[in-house]
Amino acid sequence: MLGEFEYLLITAAATLGDSAYGASMREEIETATGRKCSIGALYTTIDRLEKKGLIKTWMGEATMERGGRAKRMVRVTPKGVESAKAFYEGVIRMSRGASWVES
Amino acid sequence: MTDVVKSLLELMSRRLEPDEREAVLGDLSEDGASDWRCLIEITGLVIRRHAALWQDWRPWFAALAVALPGTFLLMGVSFSISHDFQRLMGEPQPCTACVPTAREDPFLLLCQFALLLLWAWSVGFVVGCVSRRTLWASCVLGALPCAYCLSKFHETSLTPLCLLMFVPPAIAGIYRSVRINAIGQKTSVAMLITTTALMFGAWANGAWWAPNWMLILPVSFTVLLAWRPYLWRASSN
Repeated sequence: MLGEFEYLLITAAATLGDSAYGASMREEIETATGRKCSIGALYTTIDRLEKKGLIKTWMGEATMERGGRAKRMVRVTPKGVESAKAFYEGVIRMSRGASWVES
Repeated sequence: MTDVVKSLLELMSRRLEPDEREAVLGDLSEDGASDWRCLIEITGLVIRRHAALWQDWRPWFAALAVALPGTFLLMGVSFSISHDFQRLMGEPQPCTACVPTAREDPFLLLCQFALLLLWAWSVGFVVGCVSRRTLWASCVLGALPCAYCLSKFHETSLTPLCLLMFVPPAIAGIYRSVRINAIGQKTSVAMLITTTALMFGAWANGAWWAPNWMLILPVSFTVLLAWRPYLWRASSN
């Protein structure tokens, strides 16, 4: 079972598609949740998810706006999609009947 | 102030793997983060990375099972050698401390000195090989008993530095582990045989203290490291 932040990270990567990398995922998570996402939390979670085989990462191209530094690109694996789907369905099932859920 | 922050940022970011450093500094540059912000973010990541290393058994083993007890025992051996050497040299007011391994015999003194070199080198090598990235913690833990014993050292006829005779060979062992990170199987076996023979020689002649038997363990471990290196080293090391 995924953790909440792991789920957010996989979802951000899936939403961004080919342009998923550290800075863009961080922005996506901060915009969606309204919470600060530290570089430390982001990169340690990326490593953990990669070890679990839920995402794949590689070094991408460098751009001028990044001071000529390369990006660490992220792609969700089929196993990652399955895990995120299972997490989402679990949350939906669990939330049924809760007072804050509109019927 | 900005220069200081920039220097700290450079220093801290060098603690990261090259690819990660590149990606993280690029992300922060893209975000337009200030130097302070960059320093805080990178420090947070470095702390998390180091904390993650301690989830493995190897840093604990290197620091608590090898560096700490090894330093204690090696200080005792260093003191014993200095004590014997002083007596053999005919010092008018020799050290009067009770040393269990003390024997006024030049052969046994050489034997103890050779053992000190082999033991200390092996302790340094094992600590560096098993957990290189937490070497600083093992060194700090090894330095604590040194600081304690130096503060309690009241022997007037010997310099307190005699306790630290084991430090140069231990540093040589650490250097070897960091630079080359390997030892040949034949070399490690030869070291183990030599050490065992010297230990039996010292024991048979009464120049022995039972806890020193434990120092055979780091030497034996070098054989395991030579035989199956990747079994004992962390993947991130």
